[in-house]
Amino acid sequence: MAIITTTLTMPVTGERIHHASDLELARAAAAGDSAAFEKLYEQHHRRVYSLCLRMLGNGTHAEDLTQEVFLQVYKKIGSFRGDSAFTTWLHRLTVNQVLMHFRRRGVKLEHTSEEGDFTNVVDTPLQSTRRISMVDRLALEKAISQLPPGYRTVFVLHDVEGYEHEEISSVLDVSIGTSKSQLHKARMRLRELLTKK
Amino acid sequence: MVCKQCQELISEYIDGGLELGEQSNVERHLAGCEPCRAVRDDLLQIVHFSQQLPVQSPSRALWPRISADVTELQPSLWTRTLRSLAGFQALKFNFSVPQLIAGAAALAIIISTGVIISRRDNGPAQLAGVSAVTPSDVTPLSQADLQQLEKQINQLSAAVEQRKEAWDPELRTAFERNLLYIDQSLVECRHQLKDNPADNVSQELMLNAYREKVRLLEGFEKF
Repeated sequence: MAIITTTLTMPVTGERIHHASDLELARAAAAGDSAAFEKLYEQHHRRVYSLCLRMLGNGTHAEDLTQEVFLQVYKKIGSFRGDSAFTTWLHRLTVNQVLMHFRRRGVKLEHTSEEGDFTNVVDTPLQSTRRISMVDRLALEKAISQLPPGYRTVFVLHDVEGYEHEEISSVLDVSIGTSKSQLHKARMRLRELLTKK
Repeated sequence: MVCKQCQELISEYIDGGLELGEQSNVERHLAGCEPCRAVRDDLLQIVHFSQQLPVQSPSRALWPRISADVTELQPSLWTRTLRSLAGFQALKFNFSVPQLIAGAAALAIIISTGVIISRRDNGPAQLAGVSAVTPSDVTPLSQADLQQLEKQINQLSAAVEQRKEAWDPELRTAFERNLLYIDQSLVECRHQLKDNPADNVSQELMLNAYREKVRLLEGFEKF
């Protein structure tokens, strides 16, 4: 017979909630402490929303998905054991939700068509002399949102969120070569978009 | 190396992912090719600024939406009791979940029995001091109540039956043990009421047992 061995779950209330770790909050939330769940939301919703926003390129959809993510957090918080950081667990859960969102809408993440072609500077000498003077944040955000979903996903995971190609390959179920190729095409497409502005 | 080859490798070059030979070839080409250097510098800028994008905030209306959804998902009292009991683990008592569940059920039965004995021995006035019994608990059991509860129990039982296949054997044992406690209680009440249909105490106990059965089924329906 399996014997349970975990730690005591106490409500995280009052002043204590401000100093509670993510793990303590997660355990309290798993035991039905709604204040602890709200605190987790307060601490992490911006990061979740930002990730959703950049991967989806649409604020309304990003809010809807952030809502879905936190409902999943609420349902699954009991399975968080603290083996990894809560942020890592939440990040992976968010990425999975975004990918499920893409799948539900039939969005293909791998591009093999002409969508992947970018203008080679050798073919356009005029463009080759045009440079990105300075990347401003808004222009970059806008350009990222204009990328095809496949490029955007790999670009956001790698260049914004800091994933390695091996992790992207695992999360997206594509080869490492595909991940590298998508990233390169995404960057080149961004360059095009930013030099056109 | 021509420009096309150089640009195909340029992302990996700036990420430091090229082998030494390829890296040297790209560097030699870049040294003599201004357009390819421009591409490299632009991509470096894109990568650099992408790493520094600030976090964004959703609208303030988002939390109330989530909160409302979560409220709908709030577990039943029974499930919360189980979760709380599971939280006791850290005290290092070597109880398994089924033991804890059985303990909770046994406690409920003991309290109910205590209420009944107290009531039989001391009369209704004594009930005021028993916190486990609320005003709604002492509502006489009508035929309509019974039918409604039995209908609810049948529906929940069907749902639980479908889920039982996937349960851990211990969880199944715990569920069946608790169901047995409650069903025994119901059988005793039915016997009492058969002998004395006007026995209000047995009616109340029966109503509580039915409600306990609903809570049990609702709790286990989610596993």
